Amino acid sequence: MTDLELQNWQEQWQSEPSIPMNLRKSVERQSKLMRIGLIGDVAVTLVIGGGSIAWAMRAGNGEFVPVAIAAWMFLAAAWIFVLMANRGLWSPSAMESSAFIDLSIRRSRRTLATLWFAVALFFAEVAFGLGWAYIHSVDRRVSMTAWLLFSSLRVDVVWLVTALFLGGVVWYRRRKQYELVRLLELRKQMSGPNFENEFDDGSLFERKGWRFYDSRRKHRGKPDRSV
Amino acid sequence: MDRTILEQQFERILATQGPALSRLAASYTNTLSDRDDLLQEIAFAIWQALPKFRGDCSERTFAFRIAHNRGITYLSRARAQNTDPIEEIEVHDPAPGPESNLSQRQRAEKLREAVRRLPIAYRQVITLTLEGLGYKEFSEVLGISESNVGARLTRARQLLLEGLEGQK
Repeated sequence: MTDLELQNWQEQWQSEPSIPMNLRKSVERQSKLMRIGLIGDVAVTLVIGGGSIAWAMRAGNGEFVPVAIAAWMFLAAAWIFVLMANRGLWSPSAMESSAFIDLSIRRSRRTLATLWFAVALFFAEVAFGLGWAYIHSVDRRVSMTAWLLFSSLRVDVVWLVTALFLGGVVWYRRRKQYELVRLLELRKQMSGPNFENEFDDGSLFERKGWRFYDSRRKHRGKPDRSV
Repeated sequence: MDRTILEQQFERILATQGPALSRLAASYTNTLSDRDDLLQEIAFAIWQALPKFRGDCSERTFAFRIAHNRGITYLSRARAQNTDPIEEIEVHDPAPGPESNLSQRQRAEKLREAVRRLPIAYRQVITLTLEGLGYKEFSEVLGISESNVGARLTRARQLLLEGLEGQK
């Protein structure tokens, strides 16, 4: 290996002078989408929260007041959850690569850990909503089980949404777990061979029997005792 | 910071570092469309990070840090490491077509392919070397000590050479 060789490589490498597509436009588009997303979150809060208050006020008999209170409690819990999940994890993407990968790993772990809170919150909302609807249903002679299963299309929609939500959670969790394993793997690769002994989280996943673990690893299911 | 100043700074970074960022994005991806997607993500991340940029490093270091970090995120999300043959990424040749240029282009493409096949730690140092960064900038981008950079670079060059010879 000589410096002349390196110089040749540099010339060959830099012989691709293509200025990429209109990046400016794509950045503007993404910025706009991001703003829309943020506005969307706030809009959902205002529509659900404001709507429930308006509904309670319009009814005027106090019957819907618990719904409005519960709606705001659930919204507050969701916002607290989001803010707490991101606490200390926000950071500009311009940090050094080694620090960035550590941050990405922490972010992935925290997302996985807090996913259960989202599930619990969803079920609390469903339980409250169905409970309230049952208590205020026209025909209370029907048993609750029968009411939950056969009463109306609206209740069926709740079950459908629940199934979709759970499917989404499973999918998202698997994706996040995969990302975490890939990040741990990348950190190992980026930190050199001695690093493996300190952070062998891969075997931890394997011991727990999570099947998403690196499909390229040959001895799946058997903890690697060599590390 | 004033938006106009930010926009000017952003334009300047894209104008001066655009081709290098495109090459860095290509080193993390296998296809042209993936490269373009990653490049867009990099540009967006630069735009988002610019207001926090206080000039504690050069604009080039700043842009390369972001590029590598987005590359890492891209790799972590990629469903599986694609082992299919790498789609050729076009090379615009400024000089019109003598045959010598063809072989030059082929050599350049082989080099890019060999770089893409390097393990990530070595790929990062070799791409920075090929872009002409110094040891200090290496450690600023990757967060590893300068002494570590030397050792890693020596190994990376060796692996790249083996990769290129393996293609012959």
